[in-house]
Amino acid sequence: MRMSITAMAGAAVLALANIQPAAAADCGRVTIADMNWASAEFAAYIDKIILETGYGCEVELVPGDTMPTSTSMMEKSEPDIAPELWINAARTALDRAVAEGRLIYAAEILKDGGVEGWWIPEYLAAEHPEIKTVEDALKRKDLFKNPEDPDRGAFYGCPAGWNCQLTTANLFRAYKGEEMGFELIDPGSAAGLDGSISKAYERKQPWIGYYWAPTWILGKYPMVKLDFAVPHDKEHWNSCTALAECDNPKMNSWPKSEVYTVVTPRFAKSSPEGMAYLKKRGWSNKVANEVLAYMSDNQYTGEDGARYFLEKYPELWKNWVSADVAAKVKKAL
Amino acid sequence: MAKIEIENVYKIFGDNPEAALARAMAGEGKDEIHSDTGHTVGLHDITLSMEESKTFVVMGLSGSGKSTLIRHINRLIEPTAGRIVVDGVDVLTLNDADLRQFRRTKMAMVFQRFGLFPHRTVIHNVAYGLEMQGVEKRHRQDKAAEWIETVGLAGYENSYPSQLSGGMQQRVGLARALCGDPEVLLMDEAFSALDPLIRSGMQDQLIELQEKLHKTIVFITHDLDEALKLGDKIAILKDGRLSQVGKPEEILLEPADDYVAAFVRDVNRARVLTVDVVMRPPSLRLTTENIDAALREMQGHRDDFGYVFDGDDFRGVITERHLRRAATTNGNSSVYDLADDSQTVTADSVLEEALPTILQSDTPVAVVNNDGEFRGVVSKRELIRVLTEHREEPDEAAQEPKRTGP
Amino acid sequence: MADSNWLIEFPALSRDTLRLLQRSIDETFREFSRSYGQALEDFFEPLLWFMIWFERLLLNAPWWLVIAVIASCAYLASRNWKMTIGVIAAFLAIGIFGMWEDTMRTVSIITVCTLLAIVIGIPIGVMMARYDRAQATITPVLDVMQTMPSFVYLIPVVMLLGIGRVPGVIAVIIYAIPPVIRLTNLGIRLVDKDVLEAANAFGADFKQRLFGVQIPLAMPNIMAGVNQTIMMSLAMVVIASMIGVKGLGQPVLKAITNQYFSMGLFNGLAIVAIAIVFDRVSQAYGHRIQKHRQVGH
Ligand SMILES: Nc1ncnc2c1ncn2[C@@H]1O[C@H](COP(=O)(O)OP(=O)(O)OP(=O)(O)O)[C@@H](O)[C@H]1O
Ligand SMILES: [Mg+2]
Repeated sequence: MRMSITAMAGAAVLALANIQPAAAADCGRVTIADMNWASAEFAAYIDKIILETGYGCEVELVPGDTMPTSTSMMEKSEPDIAPELWINAARTALDRAVAEGRLIYAAEILKDGGVEGWWIPEYLAAEHPEIKTVEDALKRKDLFKNPEDPDRGAFYGCPAGWNCQLTTANLFRAYKGEEMGFELIDPGSAAGLDGSISKAYERKQPWIGYYWAPTWILGKYPMVKLDFAVPHDKEHWNSCTALAECDNPKMNSWPKSEVYTVVTPRFAKSSPEGMAYLKKRGWSNKVANEVLAYMSDNQYTGEDGARYFLEKYPELWKNWVSADVAAKVKKAL
Repeated sequence: MAKIEIENVYKIFGDNPEAALARAMAGEGKDEIHSDTGHTVGLHDITLSMEESKTFVVMGLSGSGKSTLIRHINRLIEPTAGRIVVDGVDVLTLNDADLRQFRRTKMAMVFQRFGLFPHRTVIHNVAYGLEMQGVEKRHRQDKAAEWIETVGLAGYENSYPSQLSGGMQQRVGLARALCGDPEVLLMDEAFSALDPLIRSGMQDQLIELQEKLHKTIVFITHDLDEALKLGDKIAILKDGRLSQVGKPEEILLEPADDYVAAFVRDVNRARVLTVDVVMRPPSLRLTTENIDAALREMQGHRDDFGYVFDGDDFRGVITERHLRRAATTNGNSSVYDLADDSQTVTADSVLEEALPTILQSDTPVAVVNNDGEFRGVVSKRELIRVLTEHREEPDEAAQEPKRTGP
Repeated sequence: MADSNWLIEFPALSRDTLRLLQRSIDETFREFSRSYGQALEDFFEPLLWFMIWFERLLLNAPWWLVIAVIASCAYLASRNWKMTIGVIAAFLAIGIFGMWEDTMRTVSIITVCTLLAIVIGIPIGVMMARYDRAQATITPVLDVMQTMPSFVYLIPVVMLLGIGRVPGVIAVIIYAIPPVIRLTNLGIRLVDKDVLEAANAFGADFKQRLFGVQIPLAMPNIMAGVNQTIMMSLAMVVIASMIGVKGLGQPVLKAITNQYFSMGLFNGLAIVAIAIVFDRVSQAYGHRIQKHRQVGH
């Protein structure tokens, strides 16, 4: 689903063009890409706060998006840090840049990676412990009743036009959703999909469908990912599951999307302590979801999210830095 | 009892009429109240009584309250104070349903700008009143067709109002009002929007219809000629107050104030006044057949002519000179035969028609009614006075000077 | 001086107060949705069944029959052969380009929206024309409905009713109903006072005035309102598809996200074609029931 967002970042390129190369002696000035989605936003602010208060860097956030930011980092070494870069979107170019030493993968910021899958609400999973796998769920069209056609079940797919629409549709066929009496519903938009979840959740109704993490939705409305019962078959995925023309889809599961913090070699060289911090820094989707839900609930910015994280999860971030740095950061909060 | 009684009606336009009403009742003028309170006095203490089967005309300049007054009669406007009684029923006491029933059956209205339903054909416009009365469709169509024919629009039944000329549209308006057979016809400047020729045609048609129908008609106009032509009685409004109420000739000959006088100044009296208005009793009635007796009588009188009667029968007019000549030539002929009855005018003809006869005659001309009965005489001098001297009281008319002999 | 700070900086509510306010509004709405959402869904259920039934009717009927019915509607409304042939051509073209199903779905939802807008909108317009108070209170509501960005009310509608046809119709109607209401109100208020007075003078009651005089004479305005409502509903088709309403909006949305130019163009043109058909036919109908207006002196 990130791919759809990358399409709309022309403005970010312009913004990047204006940045002066930083004189990055002794940490000095550091630029961090502030991506235009919420999880990357609060990550950027966490880095900003820690690098500024803990390491005395002078941090500037610059707006960014996957493609323009990674291109700019490869070609112009600007900005210094992309805290949350979804590798799949530009894998070949990034891999080559890393191989050529123009970029460095610092660490996986999302330990679980970006996760896509089919989910049911936590309360439903608790109520129906027998539903563990996709196949279990698809046996229960009576449970996931379609309000517009009570004889059938409703499966909320991925909005039309997104890449996940193809994969969801193919997997739906592979797992015989239609034959099991389900209708694959196109929610039309992320808003529609989110709305269907929050409506179900507020009223504790059954729900099954596509979603991804980390997201505020999964933080606010905890859900359980259904097991596809087969490991990711990359070859079939690339030759069928992910394509519009997939005549005979087989059972498969989503790969995990790798999400890395990427830095320029210049930063790694000029600020080895900062680099050490970034190599350790990262969190699980559960934490990310939680922070995102907190942000969304209060309509907070990334900065508020970062402060919330730093206050709520000290045991997590204190492991990333030395004790005195931790004290400095703590004091500054 | 009168058909319609309007008693001490006040109408104040505005949000808080009560306060302004008190001032109006205290006698303050319309302009004063308007500039102080922003309220408009539409009607100020109007009391009128309208006779059954008569045409009552309300006249006044624009803004004088004519439309306001007529709309009180069917309660399209509610008075601020006062009573309106129609056929002994206080209209203001009617509830909604009764009021609708009252409007459906008792009265119908003809409007200055016709007020036709543009989306209905002529026949459906005319049948509207009956439709409101709940008359069954076929019956009301038949009735409407009759009325369309009566007003001379046969063949236009299925036209829409916009396809008709103004005059034709107002005929539709008239037919629509009459079709429900109302007792009272309210006509608010019904003919004002028409050009003079069509207008006078419509007036004639109304008079003709009224001769057959004998409706009680309340007719609004700001045109005195029209008022005089149609009205049995005329009320004149000024700034919401009644200036004068009376018969047409009273208005014309005895205007109550300058406002009325200004109204009547430009009226062509010769066309409006009838002979009976200027006629008076003959100064000398001769009832003898004998010439000498007649001569004697005449010599004892200031006039040198007399009107000869055989009992109640009017035989004609005779002058002193004529009598003398007859006495010398043919002493025993009858005065009855000598009297000249060739020059008479009828009492209800307008002065304009009687004018040539009267002017050509040496003596005041005898006035007779339609059956030939003697009513009085009308003199040249009296006639000229009435036609020229507007503000003089007819009673103070100067005496006809005694004719001097040759 | 701390005291005069408010002169320079706007004395806004503190962030915490604002947040509290937002949270409590959100929470109230959630509470409402929890307590009444189901009742609302039940309330709208008949509408849902009708829409499903109508859509299936259009989808399952043979295409030539549907075209024949639409064409005869167009002919009956307009009494114009040229227009009827145009309508047939438009629908044939839509079929040939493979957009028949989506078009039928869109036609069905637009039809339902239009009917509902008329059934709800005209009485409201009548009420506004009759009571100044109603006009004063409803007009700003209409302003809000027309200017509020659709997404703002899409979210609560979806929270209450989920995604699909009913919330779609509600979203479309919120956006598209104001013209019918406004123009009904306006049309009735513009009815010639003299004509109305004449009806009164002949003892017409409220119903006779309304149905015999006011509505017929307000018809050109009302029809203009209906026409605008249809157009605006069609414009909302794409937005409605964002909450899962099937039809021509979905491919358009897909085309937007993926920049499929030709796909967007075809489906967009199909929407335009439906719009033109609805527009011309409803205008011709409005014109035809106004016979008395066509005859001049
Ligand atoms: N609804 C109203 N609200 C306020 N004032 C009114 C209203 N109707 C009439 N008036 C006022 O009452 C007065 C009398 O008006 P009305 O219409 O009765 O005059 P009219 O004699 O019929 O005039 P015209 O010859 O122009 O028709 C005028 O001053 C007018 O401004
Ligand atoms: Mg008037």
